[in-house]
Amino acid sequence: MPTAQHLLPPDLARQLERLELVTRKVFRGRMKGERRSAKKGQSVEFADYRNYVAGDDLRSLDWNLYARLDKLIVKLFLEEEDLHFYTLIDASPSMAFGEPTKLEYAKQLAAALGFIGLIRADRVRVETLGGERSPAIRGRRSVPRLLEFLEGIEPAESASLEEGVRKFCLRNPGRGVVVLISDLMDKRGYESAMRYLVAQRVDVFVMHVLSPAEIDPDVVGDLRLVDCEDADEAEITVSAPLINRYKETLAAFTAGASEYCSRRGMNYLLTSTERPVEELMTTWLRKRGLVR
Amino acid sequence: MSELFRNTLSPAQWALLAAVPPAIFALYFLKLKRTPVEVPSTYLWKKSIEDLRVNSLWQRLRQSLLLFLQLLLVALAILALLRPGWQGTDLTGSRLIFLVDNSASMSTTDADADPYKTDGDRPRLDVAKEKVAGLIDQMERGMTAMIISYAGQPRVVQQFTDNTRLLRERLSTIEPTIGPTDLGGALELAEGLANPARVSVAEGAPDVEVVPPEPATVFILSDGRFSDVEDFALGNLEPVYVPLGSPSTANLAITALETRRSESVAGRLQAFVQAANYGAEPIDAVVELRRAGAVVDAQRLTLPAGEAAGVTLPVGDAAAAPGEGVLEARLTADTLSAAGDRLAVDNVGWAAINDPSDSRVLLVTAGNPAIEQALATSRIERLGAVETEPPGFLDSDEYRAAAAAAVYDLVIYDRCAPESSPRSHAVYVGQLPPGDAWRGGPDAEADASDASDTINVPIVIDWNRSHPLLANIELGNFDIVQSLRLDPPQNAATLIDAAEGPIAAVAARDGYEDTVLGFPILVEVGGALQRNTDWINRHSFPTFWLNVLEYCVARQSVGSRSLRPGEAVELRPASPATEEIVVVSPSGREERLRRRGERPFVYQGAGEAGVYRVIEQGREVRRFAVNLFDPAESDVRLRTEEDPEDAQRARVADIQIGNIRVASSAGAAPAREELWRWLLLAALGVLVLEWWVYHRRVYV
Repeated sequence: MPTAQHLLPPDLARQLERLELVTRKVFRGRMKGERRSAKKGQSVEFADYRNYVAGDDLRSLDWNLYARLDKLIVKLFLEEEDLHFYTLIDASPSMAFGEPTKLEYAKQLAAALGFIGLIRADRVRVETLGGERSPAIRGRRSVPRLLEFLEGIEPAESASLEEGVRKFCLRNPGRGVVVLISDLMDKRGYESAMRYLVAQRVDVFVMHVLSPAEIDPDVVGDLRLVDCEDADEAEITVSAPLINRYKETLAAFTAGASEYCSRRGMNYLLTSTERPVEELMTTWLRKRGLVR
Repeated sequence: MSELFRNTLSPAQWALLAAVPPAIFALYFLKLKRTPVEVPSTYLWKKSIEDLRVNSLWQRLRQSLLLFLQLLLVALAILALLRPGWQGTDLTGSRLIFLVDNSASMSTTDADADPYKTDGDRPRLDVAKEKVAGLIDQMERGMTAMIISYAGQPRVVQQFTDNTRLLRERLSTIEPTIGPTDLGGALELAEGLANPARVSVAEGAPDVEVVPPEPATVFILSDGRFSDVEDFALGNLEPVYVPLGSPSTANLAITALETRRSESVAGRLQAFVQAANYGAEPIDAVVELRRAGAVVDAQRLTLPAGEAAGVTLPVGDAAAAPGEGVLEARLTADTLSAAGDRLAVDNVGWAAINDPSDSRVLLVTAGNPAIEQALATSRIERLGAVETEPPGFLDSDEYRAAAAAAVYDLVIYDRCAPESSPRSHAVYVGQLPPGDAWRGGPDAEADASDASDTINVPIVIDWNRSHPLLANIELGNFDIVQSLRLDPPQNAATLIDAAEGPIAAVAARDGYEDTVLGFPILVEVGGALQRNTDWINRHSFPTFWLNVLEYCVARQSVGSRSLRPGEAVELRPASPATEEIVVVSPSGREERLRRRGERPFVYQGAGEAGVYRVIEQGREVRRFAVNLFDPAESDVRLRTEEDPEDAQRARVADIQIGNIRVASSAGAAPAREELWRWLLLAALGVLVLEWWVYHRRVYV
């Protein structure tokens, strides 16, 4: 599948096979998965004892203890669960900039992360802020489906970050890991969107993707800048002070986002589309603890 | 114009110019045609712009810095066009005449462009030219100007024109001369050119176009070293006298350099040098005498303030070896610096030493043993060859040709007179020269000429002891039977005064001199010669004739009379057949002269001081010297007079032109201090700054 090749080169896939998604929170999954959950369950791993209360499954009584102590003790096992792994891609028109486009980059990231999730039998779902969502898929077999879905994502009509996140949270009330891949360029601010995610009590990774042209703008002359989303215009005369001011503003913006996220227990990661996905996956995300 | 600004543009041009700043504004505030660029988000950009906007007024200023610079540029240009300046002179009238004095004294280096500074270090002529240039700069539309330079001869440097560029160009061609100052001639020339309608039209042209005389302002730039101009009506010329120089400038000058044969040693020359001190302090001057560049002698002279003193120095051999014909008297550099001398041209005097042997003297007499004998001495032989001819020779063609060709240096007419004066010095004995000059002038009645008064037994009461003709002569010891009473012309010097009137005199005539003895030496009475005076028995008689030859022949040849700059020189060829001679000026400039017929050559270009050499057929035959020797020019102090309002203060003297006193406008005619050059320079700076700002904003 050429698309798969493109979004997830085999080399990268090989590297990713060694990784798994990590969450600091132990979540309750819907299906038995490969990871322990807070729910006591039916795995082979012993977790604890407790007194029997009416209604408990008699199968879990520790009969040996009953024989010795004449008490009904229920043996608790850890439940091994799957991880709900959501990738939320901002597919607004602004993401269609850059070389490669930020959206493309976001897709690659999502593919890589989803691949890791799938091979670890996690529940992987990819959604866009516009409301497009893939089915929740599991298992290695589903990798082509994931890639196919990602391939199909096109820059959509502008959807506000807040609205997209809110709807996402309503649709996916469960816990899990949410990776938000966005450029955070929303004139209404990203804070309200983040608040929904915080309230969701999910493990949130915010991947702030910017193109080099945004980090270090290479423009000259008297320009009329047109916002591709709302056709808003800004007239600038490029000058050294203006460029400096822009860079300061950008630095303040990213620093503000980083701090906002850190304070609320979210992971914030700023990356440029120039950074290869491989490097990001194998070094950066490892360091930041999204993968292991 | 003394106002701060001067208009340089017409209203229409101003209107056009006034439209420029609004145009810049309009261009600036009109929507700039910005290139649209689609960006992911204007979010950060807007924030940046807002930051910049709210930052401060300074940011705003920075935004429109280019606008400010452009407006500043235009403002500077407009200001430059307004030609701001100060000082300056009010030029009134539409016609200006600049009379620039370029006489010798204008080379004095004591002027300064600052009109209130009395002592400068620049040549007066340079400052005068600068002032005129300043006035030309201030000419307004419709004004025309003319430039005349004047020294000995006025010269129209530039006719009336309104082309200031041309005026300036021509102004710079005025060169210093060593001539005297003739303001009258310049004024006449100026008036003639200013009012051409007054030029009389030849006969047969009844319609004289009478243009109403337009007034013209005459700027006289001079140091005032001239006598007042009389007999000149300014008419509609409005004079402005701009004095140059300083009233206290010291100057030393060589005012005379004469050579003559030594009285004591035969065959030797001696030089008489006179130096004058025109400063306020007495000076001990050292005068050097150089022959062909080598110092011959030097002597110290004490020159009291404002006075002259002379000294006689030995020169050496009378015979001039090749290259030794140039004699130079020079004030030493130490003397000049001690005196603070400011005029260089008069610190050297020149004299030419000529070979004396070629002189020819003609004695025309019916027979006069006394004179013949007196002219036969060995000393006179050394001075020249004396030929004797009878009076009938005067009617011969040979005589006419020789007289016209100036073959003789001296002709002595004894009791006879030619039809017209010869081209040579002449001595008339007992006869009046031809022409009216000695007969009361052309206005005298005709019959008076024949009836020249005769005096019987005149008693000599005085004689001009200082005249070279009567040097070493005592005249009171002889009697005269009969003599003519002379009526010498204006320029004559009386030699001998009798109680009844002059009986001997000498007068100049066209570059020669006529000496007239009113009394014959011998008279023919009844076929026999009889003595008219017993002078012939005195020592003074041969001495007188020796003096005559020394004066007329030897002086001519040995060290001929120093010529004034610009004076025309008649040059007699050594051989009558010569058709062409070359005159080499002191600076080496050669001029080829041709002559018509038998007339002597005339050289007009003696414009520089020094010794000129005459080359005839490849041989240097003669030298003559041109010197300033002009006390009026050497006394370079600006003329002053007592200020009537403040007796303690001297002020620059007025000059008198006709009946009008022209007060000096000291400090007048200052060049306008113009600012526009600086303004344009500043505008250029602003332009560069704007360029830099623009590029910095775009690329840095």
